[in-house]
Amino acid sequence: MASISSTAGSAVLRRDFFGSALESHRKNEVSLRRSVIRASKYSPKLPNRRLRVAVIGGGPAGGAAAETLAKGGVETVLIERKLDNCKPCGGAIPLCMVGEFGLPLDIIDRRVTKMKMISPSNVAVDIGRTLKPNEYIGMVRREVLDAYLRERAAESGAEVINGLFLQLDMPEGPNQQYKIHYSHYEGGALGGQRKTMEVDAVIGADGANSRVAKSIDAGDYEYAIAFQERVKIQDDKMVYYEERAEMYVGDDVSPDFYGWVFPKCDHVAVGTGTVTHKGQIKQFQAATRLRAKDKIEGGKIIRVEAHPIPEHPRPRRSSGRVALVGDAAGYVTKCSGEGIYFAAKSGRMCAEAIVEGSENGTRMIDESDLKKYLEKFDRMYWPTYKVLDILQKVFYRSNPAREAFVEMCADEYVQKMTFDSYLYKKVVPGNPWMISS
Amino acid sequence: MALFSSPFPSTLLPTLSNKPHLSLKPPTTPVLFPLIKKHHSLSLARSSDANGAGVVGVVEEKVQTREAEKKVEESGEGLGSNGAAAAAAAVVEAPPKFKDPRWVGGTWDLTQFRKDGKTDWDAVIDAEARRRKWLEDTPEASSTDEPVLFDTSVIPWWAWMKRYHLPEAELLNGRAAMVGFFMAYFVDSLTGVGLVDQMGNFFCKTLLFIAVVGVLVIRKNEDIETVKKLLEETTFYDKQWQATWKDDTPNDLSK
Repeated sequence: MASISSTAGSAVLRRDFFGSALESHRKNEVSLRRSVIRASKYSPKLPNRRLRVAVIGGGPAGGAAAETLAKGGVETVLIERKLDNCKPCGGAIPLCMVGEFGLPLDIIDRRVTKMKMISPSNVAVDIGRTLKPNEYIGMVRREVLDAYLRERAAESGAEVINGLFLQLDMPEGPNQQYKIHYSHYEGGALGGQRKTMEVDAVIGADGANSRVAKSIDAGDYEYAIAFQERVKIQDDKMVYYEERAEMYVGDDVSPDFYGWVFPKCDHVAVGTGTVTHKGQIKQFQAATRLRAKDKIEGGKIIRVEAHPIPEHPRPRRSSGRVALVGDAAGYVTKCSGEGIYFAAKSGRMCAEAIVEGSENGTRMIDESDLKKYLEKFDRMYWPTYKVLDILQKVFYRSNPAREAFVEMCADEYVQKMTFDSYLYKKVVPGNPWMISS
Repeated sequence: MALFSSPFPSTLLPTLSNKPHLSLKPPTTPVLFPLIKKHHSLSLARSSDANGAGVVGVVEEKVQTREAEKKVEESGEGLGSNGAAAAAAAVVEAPPKFKDPRWVGGTWDLTQFRKDGKTDWDAVIDAEARRRKWLEDTPEASSTDEPVLFDTSVIPWWAWMKRYHLPEAELLNGRAAMVGFFMAYFVDSLTGVGLVDQMGNFFCKTLLFIAVVGVLVIRKNEDIETVKKLLEETTFYDKQWQATWKDDTPNDLSK
């Protein structure tokens, strides 16, 4: 085909351009191997139709991706298996997400402005003294947030389908379409109707147990099990958790993570997680309940939930014209276990890359466009992930390390740095000696 | 969630002076290893066993050795209060809370630690280590009515130095001196160059520098393995993230 020879010619050019550009942006040790990138500007223009993309999974990642695609003029289909899914999740979102995604303030059930960190020997440190009056950690109900983002996607022109993704057929030749097999649930009928759909590209936003990831042979990752109980406590005890979240660290609570008590709309979520000792999760949960005993005594457990949390990205996050975003890709930070913001952001970035590469849906895209999204995401958030990884390695190692961690968090500079980097996703060192402790 | 990328604030622990690193040698756990020079008191942890008893940082290393010391000293100290509490545990159903006559109102009453008119800091360190060990074995609920108010920074920096840094420094200096004497003798016997002339030679000075750095880095034979593991561990996460870029060329060929 004529396009192959032209792409080969331009590939050399692009590689050099990309190679040097990448090196200049990269931090010291991390360097990207030079990849052969085929220019998508030479991809064929689509005759009388727009680019068609399927987004599998309707959580924050899928919703954000579908909205951006639809707004960008791409024909979008969002396939979600359970439209009222109440995901087990901490539910904490940073302040920057509200601004960046234009979330209405009534989506946020609670604004956490005080956090208490409790060491293994029950030294309790209040962090949040440095927060300004308009700064907070937003606690949301996942079903509310996910539904809102999907609504917005639908309003922008995406087609939301209630169905279960089953299988992905690879395209027969270059620039041919992918075939998606899915089960369409219509009107509450048990078991769906098996259907197929032809699309040009697929965004896998179907979470930690992603089927899309399996279809493209993306590889596995290590994951943590997060276990959570929703506890309804008495109103007078609930006052304590009005704006406060708690983090418990210790070997009894988790050998490599933390136990938490997060306030939800009218109850609290008490939970813990672990990567290395998944079999003992119930004991860890019991220990977490014990540590918080005085504050949640007499509460009734209204729901028990558990979910896997990826620990690091999958070995292959894109293949051909299929890309993974959110939990499916493995974008959960270490140390804090934050995933919602990065899921939504990666969904949006991937969609933006597709919109740009397809020139608003008029051209076929190429593998290189999806690699651009990966490169952009990695470059923007790699420092955050790496620093959190170092913190996890250093401070969740042993009880003495955790004691030191909690002790350090009493310092105002540390608190300010922590919150600034969490709320705005920007690591700005500032001057540790200016702020008085 | 503590996130910082500038040098560790030394104002955090006013009683602890700005030391490049405190070398510690707890009986059963690996030794501190300063890796990142910028963070002069913050070090990457490493573990040589599955339990992950790695050591880090200035603050927690003293805490950790406190705990290790506790294991050593437990047999020696009088455990009156704990012994009584343990007996009570057999009878009462609820696990006993930590009780100690010197633990008053959520902190250690330093007036009860006086010895010869001065506070016996070693005893304070031991007491806190024992309390933490106790809580590790029988965790307690964290209570807002009876909060823990003890701040480890009341213990002065020289108490830590005297207890942990100096003995190990003595050990390492002794080893270095012995090695140095033997090497000087050896070189002299082989080349006839005396000690004074050896010091004037650039090659010898380089060797001396390497020897000093080596002793600081590799304090026991086990440290060699630990250093190797540490190196691998620091780059593991990076490799996981870059995995997606490694398969680029084979992928394109297969298309």
